[in-house]
Amino acid sequence: MELANTLSQDGESRGGVLAHLERLETQVSRSRKKMEEPQSAQAEESALGTRIHELRRLRDKLRAEVKQHQASVKASTTNVESDQTSEITEQESLKRKRENVKAILQAYRFTGISGKLTSRGACVCISTAFEGNLLGSYFVDLVMRKPLQIHHHSIPVFIPLEEISAKYLQTNVQHFLFTLCEYLNAYSGRKYQADRLQSDFEAFLAGPLQRNSLCNLLSFTYKAEPEGQSFPFCARLLYKDLTTTLPTDVTVTYQGTDALSTTQEEQRAAHENLFFTKPLHQVFTSFARKGDKLDMSLVS
Amino acid sequence: MDSQLVEARALEAEITALRRACVEPPAPGEDTSRVRKSFREIYQADSEGWELSKDLRSHLGHLESELQFLSTLTGISIRHYSKKTEDLTSTEMTEKSIKKVLQRHRLSGNCHMITFQLEFQLLEIQNEESLSSVITDLSIIMEPTEYSELSEFVSRAEERRDLFMFFRSLHFFVEWCEYRKRTFKRFKGLSLTTPLPPAPSTNLAHFMTVILSWTLAALPSQNPHYEKYPEAVHLSEGASSSCMGIRNPSRPGFELVIVWRIQIDEEGKVLPKLDLLTKVPLQALELDKNGVIETAPLSFRTLLGVLGIEATLESLIKSLHTEASN
Repeated sequence: MELANTLSQDGESRGGVLAHLERLETQVSRSRKKMEEPQSAQAEESALGTRIHELRRLRDKLRAEVKQHQASVKASTTNVESDQTSEITEQESLKRKRENVKAILQAYRFTGISGKLTSRGACVCISTAFEGNLLGSYFVDLVMRKPLQIHHHSIPVFIPLEEISAKYLQTNVQHFLFTLCEYLNAYSGRKYQADRLQSDFEAFLAGPLQRNSLCNLLSFTYKAEPEGQSFPFCARLLYKDLTTTLPTDVTVTYQGTDALSTTQEEQRAAHENLFFTKPLHQVFTSFARKGDKLDMSLVS
Repeated sequence: MDSQLVEARALEAEITALRRACVEPPAPGEDTSRVRKSFREIYQADSEGWELSKDLRSHLGHLESELQFLSTLTGISIRHYSKKTEDLTSTEMTEKSIKKVLQRHRLSGNCHMITFQLEFQLLEIQNEESLSSVITDLSIIMEPTEYSELSEFVSRAEERRDLFMFFRSLHFFVEWCEYRKRTFKRFKGLSLTTPLPPAPSTNLAHFMTVILSWTLAALPSQNPHYEKYPEAVHLSEGASSSCMGIRNPSRPGFELVIVWRIQIDEEGKVLPKLDLLTKVPLQALELDKNGVIETAPLSFRTLLGVLGIEATLESLIKSLHTEASN
């Protein structure tokens, strides 16, 4: 290092021979050194080389360590994440299951009988429908005890609930519920037919529709053609079987004083048959259609 | 040498940096604990409140018990249900405040040995005064298909879009089938194994189901006082079939066959229909001056009206049995 310092100071020139001699001396020593330099340089170079070699080794080692360190950090992060994701997936799947069960509980109303648990038993809901039209529902609140009891209910008073429960409630609750279902659905269906007749076919009725609350006894006077010349008929429909929506007894009579002609008699009999086999409002729909047909024939 | 020095310097710098990287605490680690907290926060912010897996599980358990209860109550087990909703409200309708929605429902499950798969469409029209819901399409697939009485019934239900009648009649049909099987088995002397319902967790719903089970049809054939006739009774097609044969092993050639069909009428009413068929050797027929064999089916019907099904069948079995001992 001293050498370097001395050499750097070389730039300054001193005056005279002494100076010249010194310069020459220095030059000689420099050239000598230069000759020596490769050796020491070599030695130095080799020293540096070794040092670089070692530095390189250390650097590679550290690089590897850092990589490993980073990898382990990453791994632990992923583990924490996957724990969380598995925790989340478990919760997700439980939630999904719960939504599924809830949906199925809701879907029971489509069987006609559904229910909810209560503190003392169950509240059973019976749904009714006719020809695909969903109609009213009724409930029966059961107390789960021996003997099974009905706490309260919304069954109309004219449905023979006491009779049905006396027969089946204690021995076969399923039979009890489905029988009740039968009665309620039949009642809803009859009511629907009567309502439709009153609302949609008013034009065909010559007087008010007489009906009872159970809708199993209907009496009305009608004309098959509202505008036309047809005679008014009197119809009396009795539904003895409370579990059906079609009448068990039908009487169609003519109110006039004259005797009926053959065609009229045929018509009367045909109407009677129609009332036996088709729902009430559908019978009148067919009357309306026939009327349309006749109009068409008049036009053509 | 300069280049080497440069390299050396560069290596030293790198090594220092690497050393620092090794020593540093894992920065991401801090982030994970932070992240963990925010997930918790998300769940806490959930509108349904604090939901741990444990709470979810117990709620799910209660719901499943309620499902088990409903299934026991109705005798119908729904296993799958899905629903799609389509809004059909046009702009005109919205102006008049009318809403029209079409729902597509898919439902499958079983009622005892019969499995069903239903698809139906429900059209809901809501106006200011009322809501009308109409089933506009119904398609039913049932298995097993060997109950031929059912296929006609199914098409009728589909035609009428009468979903409730389907389930009602299905219930009664199955009830009759089970009763028929029990009766046949009882006479044959076969044991009846009633499948026990799975034991759910002890909770209110479970308790209700247990009490409910007391009110389900008591099995008459469990009565030990009933007599069995294993040799006389012959179930060629098994106890689930509609036929029961009565034979006398000491009098081969004679056989009474009781055909017990379960029919569903137009209105969805389920009724049993029993007939008696006689199999008699020609000689016996010739000897039968009073035409007892000929009138047997009719007498059978009369007997049914008087004694009921089980008593009639028992009397028939006994009559053939005692004849042997004469």
